[in-house]
Amino acid sequence: MPEGRRLRVGLVCPYSFESPGGVQNHVLGLARFLSERGHDPYVLAPGELSETAAGMLDPGRFTTAGAAVPLRYNGSVARVNFGPLSAARVRRWLREHAFDLLHLHEPVTPSISMLALWAADQPVVATFHTATPRSRSMQLAGGVLRAAIEKLDAGIAVSESARLVVIQHLGRDAMVIPNGLRVADFARAAGPRRTRTGRPRLVFLGRTDEPRKGLDVLLAAVPEIRAAVGDVETVVAGQGSRRLPAWCTPLGTVLDHDKAALLRSADVFVAPHRDRESFGIVLLEALASGAPVVASDLPPFVDLLGHGRPGLDPVGDVFRVGDSQALARTVIDVLRHPNPERIGRAQQLARQYDWARVGAAVLSVYRATLAAGPATDARVAQ
Amino acid sequence: MTVVDVAAVLIILLLAIGWRLSWLATRVDRAHARAERTWAALDAALVRRAQRATELVQTPGVDPASALLVSDAAAAALEPDLDHQQREQAESDLSHVLEVVGPTLTAGADGLVAEQHRATLSRRLHNDAVATARALRRRRVVRTFGLAGHAEEPQPFEMADSRQLLWPRDGT
Repeated sequence: MPEGRRLRVGLVCPYSFESPGGVQNHVLGLARFLSERGHDPYVLAPGELSETAAGMLDPGRFTTAGAAVPLRYNGSVARVNFGPLSAARVRRWLREHAFDLLHLHEPVTPSISMLALWAADQPVVATFHTATPRSRSMQLAGGVLRAAIEKLDAGIAVSESARLVVIQHLGRDAMVIPNGLRVADFARAAGPRRTRTGRPRLVFLGRTDEPRKGLDVLLAAVPEIRAAVGDVETVVAGQGSRRLPAWCTPLGTVLDHDKAALLRSADVFVAPHRDRESFGIVLLEALASGAPVVASDLPPFVDLLGHGRPGLDPVGDVFRVGDSQALARTVIDVLRHPNPERIGRAQQLARQYDWARVGAAVLSVYRATLAAGPATDARVAQ
Repeated sequence: MTVVDVAAVLIILLLAIGWRLSWLATRVDRAHARAERTWAALDAALVRRAQRATELVQTPGVDPASALLVSDAAAAALEPDLDHQQREQAESDLSHVLEVVGPTLTAGADGLVAEQHRATLSRRLHNDAVATARALRRRRVVRTFGLAGHAEEPQPFEMADSRQLLWPRDGT
């Protein structure tokens, strides 16, 4: 298949790279994939490049949209920006780079993605990450928002549930392309997992002070798990102001390669999220690193782990959202009955989400979008 | 209120209405233009698919029965004077044939699958654009003031195509 010409792609990330997050990682991973394929990606985001981000993205390809303001959005604290100054920066960035195509992330957040959508006169692809609708705020924003959404040439949703939200609330279709990961980063040196302490190790990853990440659900389950299988180590990795019980091992923020090592050391990876996860890349990272996964039964998790699909053996266990006792029972069962065959299948599944495949799918949406672009682009797109 | 005040209020009101109508008309126009472009792209993708299929079965080593099946379906899809419905039918028939015969072709089958995917993707983009244009056309303001002008109502293109699109679980 001909790769086609080199594309100048403008990627807009609404959240700052100074704080870790699924959308940020996705944008960085996509930029790296596009560069490796010989394309020409540029990234606009609020704030500055963090050290980790600079390792994935050439700083020459990064433009800041200005200082970011911490703001609550969709249950998380996100650093976003808005206003005339940001709008002017977005316009200047668009003008200076003359992109073939713009790829916005989370275009219906109050952010530079939305500002870029307004200002864009080139073909626009947008990825919807969040599964939870904010229909009320969308109604209030009214015609302006609808007009902006009409400008999109192609929508991408990271999961089937995210796609349904796009269809129902925005009246637009979207192609399902999941988030990607570099499987090699996680699967590398897959030696025997043995924890230093000798105790079975439960691993939690995510902000500690955000109820939707569900740390409470896990902490409430630990006594029951200990009563059943003896002492366990509970490793909590993630930012947050919350005070943890003395029996927890707090790690704070973990960098990418530490995260991979941590996941490989897990005897059970627990994802007790309560709400609003659109995809669950962290689950895939855990699967890729060969950790048994126990997750709450949010639709994207259930989907990813392969429950409720006839003829498909699940690659992880789920429990009812928010139910600590069910979590405890599931973890106890996993610790008592190790299942290497399932871990093999889990790693195989994770490989399907490697950037090589995910990125190629994104590129095919770019090509199809350009093929339907303004007349001048139609010929060169193929 | 004096007559001048009333007149001023009326003028402002009319300007506001006019501005809103022209804004809507721009959106309607843009949506129609996009639907036309996505149709051109879909049309091109479907033609390429049929041509690619024809080429593929002309390579040596393909059995004559497969060759006949595929070229017959492709020729029907490439027929120049089909109306919308006939085209939908012909393209669906080609999809079915390719779905059955395609995997048995040893050489070039990957390229054909890629063409199929491109056509499916183009169709999704087209139908999405059509839905946007039609939603705008349905709005009362747009109908009352005839903001769609003489633009023909865009039609979605319905056909059987790749069940799997970009992702194995997409659309399931």
